[in-house]
Order: sequence, then C-alpha cells, then structure tokens
Amino acid sequence: MSMNQQDLDPVNTADVDDVADAEKELIEECEEIWKDMEECQNKLSLVGTETLTNSNAQLSLLIMQAKCLAAELNQWQKETPKIIPLNEDVLLTLGKEEFQKLRHDLEMVLSTIQSKNEKLKEDLEREQQWLDEQEQILESLNTVYNELKNQVVPFSESRIFNELKTKMVNIKEYKETLLFTLGGFLEDHFPLPDGKVKKKKKNLQEPTAQLITLHEMLEILINKLFDVPHDPYVKISDSFWPPYIELLLRNGIALRHPEDPNRARNGYGSVSLTVILQSQ
Amino acid sequence: MSVLRPLDKLPKLNTATILLVSTEDALLQQLADSMLREDCASQLNVHLAKSLPLPSNVTRPRIDLIVFVVNLHSKYSLQNVEESLRHVDASFFLGKVCFLATGAGQESRCSIHHNTVVTLAHTYRSPLLFCDLKMEDFRVTMAQRLVRMLQICAGHTPGISALSLLSLLQSPESPSLEDL
Repeated sequence: MSMNQQDLDPVNTADVDDVADAEKELIEECEEIWKDMEECQNKLSLVGTETLTNSNAQLSLLIMQAKCLAAELNQWQKETPKIIPLNEDVLLTLGKEEFQKLRHDLEMVLSTIQSKNEKLKEDLEREQQWLDEQEQILESLNTVYNELKNQVVPFSESRIFNELKTKMVNIKEYKETLLFTLGGFLEDHFPLPDGKVKKKKKNLQEPTAQLITLHEMLEILINKLFDVPHDPYVKISDSFWPPYIELLLRNGIALRHPEDPNRARNGYGSVSLTVILQSQ
Repeated sequence: MSVLRPLDKLPKLNTATILLVSTEDALLQQLADSMLREDCASQLNVHLAKSLPLPSNVTRPRIDLIVFVVNLHSKYSLQNVEESLRHVDASFFLGKVCFLATGAGQESRCSIHHNTVVTLAHTYRSPLLFCDLKMEDFRVTMAQRLVRMLQICAGHTPGISALSLLSLLQSPESPSLEDL
C-alpha cells in the first residue's frame, strides 16, 4: 500500500486539492441554505399562535389548508430544481457512494441467494435420498411380487395334489382300521359254532359243507350287490350256517328272494338299485 | 410556551422527533419501542406525554409530528385528547397531527363509539388511523407507518411535504355524517 501511495503521490496531491475545493464549495452552499433557514425561522417566530376550538376548527383549518396548498403549488411552479455543482470530484464521490451502496445491497442479495441455494441443495439431497429409498422399496417389492408370482402356480397345484393324496391315504387307513375293527367285532361276537355245538349238530344232521363265517357271508352279499347290481341274489348254500342266515334275515340285513326261498340279497343300499331296475 | 407550535426551532441534523400523547402509558411505551426498532435513515426521537401542554422548563427538539392516541375503551382518554388539542397551534394541523384509535377490535368493551373519533379527526382535518396496539403484529406495522409519516413531516423525504401527504391521506369517498 505504502509503495503504491508513494507512486501515486503527485497525482494524489492534485486530487486532494480538488477534493478540498469541492468540499469547501459544498460547505459554503450549505451555510447559505442554513442562513436562509435561520431567516425564515425568525420570520416564523414573529407569527402569533392560534389555537382552535371544536366549533371553528374545521372552517379555519380548511381555509388555512387551501392557502398553504396554493402557496406550495406556487412555490413548486416557481422553483427550478437545483442540482449540486457538477464538479468532477463531487460526482466521483457520489458515484463511489452509490456504488458502495449498490455493492452492499448486491452482497446482501448474494448471501441471501447463497443461503437459499444451500437450503435448496439440502432439500434436493433429502428428496433424492427419499426417492432412492422409495425406489429401493419398489424394487424389493417387485422382486417379492415376481417371486410370489412364479411360485404360486406350481406350488398350489402340487400342494393341492399332495393334500388330496394325504387325505386319501388317511381315509384309506381309516377304512382299513374300520374294516379291521369290524372284522374283529364279528370274529369276537359271531364265532363259528365250535366243536361242542358241532358235535350236537352232527348228531342231528350231517354237515354237507365247510361252514363259512358271518364275516365272509356279509362279504359275499356285499360283493354280489356291487358286482352284479341287477341281480344281487345269492344262493343260500349249505356253507351258510342257518342261525346266522336267520339273524341276517330277521334284522333286515338280508332279504329273501320273493319267489325263491333259497336265495337272499343284501338288504341295505340295494333299494335304490332295485327301484332303478323296476323303472327300467 | 403553553401552546405547542411547529417549526418553533431550527432542526437538528438528520433528526426527526415524534410526540405521542395518551393516557395509556404502557401502550405508548410499547409503540415507542416498536418505532425505535424500525430501520430508518434519520435519527428518531420519540417523546411520550400524558397530556398537553408540555412543561416549559425543559429544552426539547423541534417536534415534527404529534400522534394523539385514543383508547376506545376509556372515555377519559378521549377527554384528555380533546383537552390537549387546545394547546396545539393551528398550523400544526397542516399535516403534522394524526389520531390513532386503539381497541376497536373488542367491540363489547368499547365505551366510545368509533363515529365519535371519526368526527373528531374530521373536525381537525387530520388523518385517523385504527390499530389494536395490544397485538404485536399490528403494532409493528403501525410503528412502520408512523415512522414513514414522521420522515415526511420532518422534511427528510425530498419532493413531498406534510401538507401534500395530508391531502393524499384524506379519502374523498368517505364524507363524514355531517356533510351528508
């Protein structure tokens, strides 16, 4: 700085002189204006005071206002706008001031806009992050959806198939146990006539054939019904033990042929079948 | 110096002085604080007074604008303002006086009809402003407005005088009841 000042010194001294002159000029002008003001003030102080009451206020004020407005108008019309001396230095100083003011304002604008920009950047970042998150969520949801879509069809088919299979197996097993239990029940409660009874019977009549169990009798009756539904009658042979035949007939489990007493059929389930046959 | 006159002293450099007159001390203080907080190119002087005339043994700067504050909830404040008006020189009413009515928001508590203040302002050919000074936002806005008026009345705004401002503020479309 000092170097610069030294270099510029000859120019600066001239400048300083000019500035001093300009300042002097301005101050002189101000002094003149101030003198004018003092004169006016003196004149004003001579004017008496006047106070108002509610009754006279409006009219006198209106008159005063009109007078003053007219005077003001007159003054404006008379007056030619005065400008400060168009000295180069004055202009320079004023220009500098103006520019500095402008610079200050612009700096303020700049800082405001910068801070706004930063805020917007932050907002943008946040929004971007949010968007990314949303996109990720969307992507993962899409993959999940696709996986599910691929899985659904084969999975459901095989699953239903498996379910049906297991159900069938279960039912079969249940049927087996049921049949087994029924067989056991029949064996336990309806045994073939044992030796003693046989001996007694042997005395009475000759056994013509090997007797079959009640279980087997029922099986034959049922199988006949399903194998030959149009003619389910079974010939009552000697291998059927008569007391069991009687038991079946009495309880309606078997029915005797209406014409042939030597034949019988299963009493249950065939009713519908016989009805169908008759209608045919 | 029982009567207050405008332009009774030479102005101080770049200084504008406002005088707020009201019995409502607290409201005046708050309004004055709000005004002093305003950003203003000239130096502000805010003087508060309960009533006029002002005591004569104090030196004070030239007063550029007088604001009479009327609290619509209190008849006394209106009476006080009417009394004080007698101690103001007529030339003050050429744009350097304004009336400010506060409390119009709570109509149930008003003991002065707002027509009364309208008539008062009309009689003295001065602008009447309404503002609820208890609300901070309104008070700040009003302070801003008063500061701008004061700058014009003090002659700190080139090209416009207090009188021309007055003629601008008077609304020709609202004649008072008496004119009708």
